[in-house]
Amino acid sequence: MEAELKSRVLYFYGVTQSRPEGKLEEPGVGEGKIEAREFEGITCWVSRVAAAEFERDLARNMENLDWLARAGVAHQRAIGAIASQAEILPARFGTIFHNEESLRNHVGGRLRQLKRDFERVKGADEWGVKVFTAKPAAALPQARSGREYLLAKAALLPKTHNSSESQAELSRFAQALERVALASAEGGTISSGQRGLRFQRSLLVKKSDRKKLQSVLARFSRRWAQVRQIECTGPWPPYSFVSHEGGAK
Amino acid sequence: MSTAPKVVVTSEFDEDQLSLVDILDHVLNRGIVIRGSVVISLAGVDLVYLGLDAILTSFETAVRHLQAQPRR
Repeated sequence: MEAELKSRVLYFYGVTQSRPEGKLEEPGVGEGKIEAREFEGITCWVSRVAAAEFERDLARNMENLDWLARAGVAHQRAIGAIASQAEILPARFGTIFHNEESLRNHVGGRLRQLKRDFERVKGADEWGVKVFTAKPAAALPQARSGREYLLAKAALLPKTHNSSESQAELSRFAQALERVALASAEGGTISSGQRGLRFQRSLLVKKSDRKKLQSVLARFSRRWAQVRQIECTGPWPPYSFVSHEGGAK
Repeated sequence: MSTAPKVVVTSEFDEDQLSLVDILDHVLNRGIVIRGSVVISLAGVDLVYLGLDAILTSFETAVRHLQAQPRR
């Protein structure tokens, strides 16, 4: 038993204020069972993972996109499953504790900050909003020469890239979103590389204001038909609206 | 029970690829940071997170590369 424990470490998913009654079926990262640890009025969510995979080899594994995709999705699914039962402050991927004592010490030392975070995100979800330049609907015609192909392709490229009119439209959109959100944050760095992306924002929106957000999205979708496409993902646990103080940069 | 966030208004991007990018964006870059007991540190710089920055950059490149491929 001792030897087995030594080879396992605690993978941390986040903190809730209460422990929900419902059963948690979702497996954790690395297929381990998600467990609750309660102390000082909060509940920490963890599962046991292999130390070799998540400690010794973590840096190398994270360079393996297949591994990263699998573990990253499992992380989000586990947090999503907990979030469906209680409001959670989600942890960043790859937070590991050697043992229960270490978990208590590190999380216990942040209680005041965590309580403030709970107040901030209470009753709200995170939504991701992106605007893309619309892709041409028409397919390239059969071209008889390279020149003809390039001309046809150029004709299909969207014309409104960075005009001041386009910027003004996006500002109007941003303002309309701000009005329905409790807070907003910069979008993520990974998807900032997506082709045609013109605008990206994360929003913290009260659950009771979800319809207002949808109506802003619908209004601008109609207005921008053929020119820009809006994509909205969510509801996410409030990843972008929890504090990062005291952590690594 | 589906617990993954939904794409409400979709673009023409492939949805699987899209949600993976979005999921990684959320889980790698955000969320509370509580120093775990495993922090590989060198001269006060946490290598785990230093590595993350490098990975984010290479992932972005990989996504660009994927998107440059012809669509199905």
